[in-house]
Amino acid sequence: MTMINNTSINKDDSSLVMAHMWVAFVSLFVGGLMGLLQTLVRSGTLTLPFGIGYYQILTVHGVILALVLTTFFIIGFQFSLMSKTVGMSNKQRDSAWFGFWIMLFGTVTTAVTILLGKASVLYTFYAPLKAYPTFYIGLALVVVGSWIGCFTNFRQLYVWKKKHKGEKSPLLAFMVVINMLLWFIATLGVAATVLIQFIPWSLGMVDTINVLVSRTLFWYFGHPLVYFWLLPAYMAWYAIIPKIIGGKIFSDSLARLSFVLFLMFSIPVGFHHQLTEPGIDPVWKFIQVVLTFMVIIPSLLTAFSMFATFEITGRKKGYTGLFGWIKGLPWKDVRFFAPMVGMIAFIPAGTGGIINASNQMNQVVHNTIWVTGHFHLTVGTTVILTFFGISYWLIPALTGRKLTAKINTLGLIQTIVWAFGMSIMSGSMHIAGLLGAPRRSSYSTYGGTEQASEWIGYQIGQAIGGSILFIGIILMVYIFINMVFLAPKGHEEFPLAEVSDDAEPTPMFLENWKLWIGITVALILFAYTIPFIDIIQHSPPGSPGFDMLIR
Amino acid sequence: MSKSKHKTNDVETFSEKEPELKGTLIAVFGLGAFIVISWIIVYVLFVSR
Repeated sequence: MTMINNTSINKDDSSLVMAHMWVAFVSLFVGGLMGLLQTLVRSGTLTLPFGIGYYQILTVHGVILALVLTTFFIIGFQFSLMSKTVGMSNKQRDSAWFGFWIMLFGTVTTAVTILLGKASVLYTFYAPLKAYPTFYIGLALVVVGSWIGCFTNFRQLYVWKKKHKGEKSPLLAFMVVINMLLWFIATLGVAATVLIQFIPWSLGMVDTINVLVSRTLFWYFGHPLVYFWLLPAYMAWYAIIPKIIGGKIFSDSLARLSFVLFLMFSIPVGFHHQLTEPGIDPVWKFIQVVLTFMVIIPSLLTAFSMFATFEITGRKKGYTGLFGWIKGLPWKDVRFFAPMVGMIAFIPAGTGGIINASNQMNQVVHNTIWVTGHFHLTVGTTVILTFFGISYWLIPALTGRKLTAKINTLGLIQTIVWAFGMSIMSGSMHIAGLLGAPRRSSYSTYGGTEQASEWIGYQIGQAIGGSILFIGIILMVYIFINMVFLAPKGHEEFPLAEVSDDAEPTPMFLENWKLWIGITVALILFAYTIPFIDIIQHSPPGSPGFDMLIR
Repeated sequence: MSKSKHKTNDVETFSEKEPELKGTLIAVFGLGAFIVISWIIVYVLFVSR
């Protein structure tokens, strides 16, 4: 193992993680710029030049931020955690690089197809909108590359367990493996629809596509995708933030239990994205709504655990009173402040999610821009601010540099700019959505209808918020460049928290992988088998493709 | 007699080790209340439409 002076992990592993970070931050800039253009077009303040289409930039925005940035950041961050906790052999690192190059090749293939205007199908690529085959082939390669990452992580823990018989696995390694299990099981759905339905259809090998099957397989993947984004943020909240605030992990068992529950309950719930969709038995929609609500349990376990960590740490520092411990938190440390703002944003974000999933009540918000406002709070604030919070120590730790006081202050400003811009943008989206404004649509006065005139003020609000957010993106990209090239050389801590002395010992059954995977598979089979057979048996005729439907 | 005294001591020692989490309790209740109130607002909108 080659070590250099300043990095917190093995030099070779640092290069691997940094390669992922580069793709993530380039994606942040490109995707963010597209987001800014969208809000300006949608508010009627800008017309795109050179024949560039609104749906083209919307597709770039969604694919680059929701799929590329997140996947690369998460896989890179998780490799750093695995390297730190269970180690990485040369063979494992080689396979990780192989996965990285396949994902990157897939990303470039898909991005070029979209930029050439051949795939303006948005990131959900709903049939019967048809893209050029390379869009789907590129996406499939991203998934295949990520699977190599999955199996590398599984192997890493397996090898560690063999060397440490009878010991519980390190908490963060356990969490990474749960998240990658979730990802692998979930992406089987999107891989199936892309390989079996979309690619043959877009190549012209078949004339029609079964739309409902494709959407069902997409959302079988689409909802756990949200948790694939969220769980790395939870890793930081549970096992890294306590160290940054000078405390300890409240409970190792509770953290593991919540991750196990996320694995079980975040997959068999895709129908809550299809509540208004004809062709699915309402009974099965209701069953999946109930399963969706089960996800609230680990979310609230997490909220409780975080509050408890903060309170115990604050009180140990001598702060008293019912809420005096809040003053004991390091508000001026951006490594804490950015994720903390993300956590606060998760309160309205999670609440919005419960409203979305509330069966008939979904009709109030379905396909409105409320939903866009919702996921800009979840992934666009909670997750991304936590990722930024991770970057403030991870990037310098990887590059052998220091997080300087100046960058710390700039990071605090960046977080405030982000929170302010997002409050305006997402707030406008939520309200306009309740007033009926649709999502996914370009600027339109809808023939001068009175209802549409109510939306325009909020659309301008979105443009103002979006512009502020873009300033936040420029700041973050500068901070990234600073931490890679300009910051002084030094040692930056890789903060891994210890478990509290008061915590009960972790029961070994929490590592009974066969049990948890078995329950997960059983729940998926229960929730999907009968309705899926029903969907296939009673399908209407398949649809031909429409590749010029939206411009 | 001595057995019950021993038991009492055990309880006391256990109580001393328990961290004080009153703020956490109130905060989690507040969070729950926020969820319920927001949900009811949209529910009223749903019913009224």
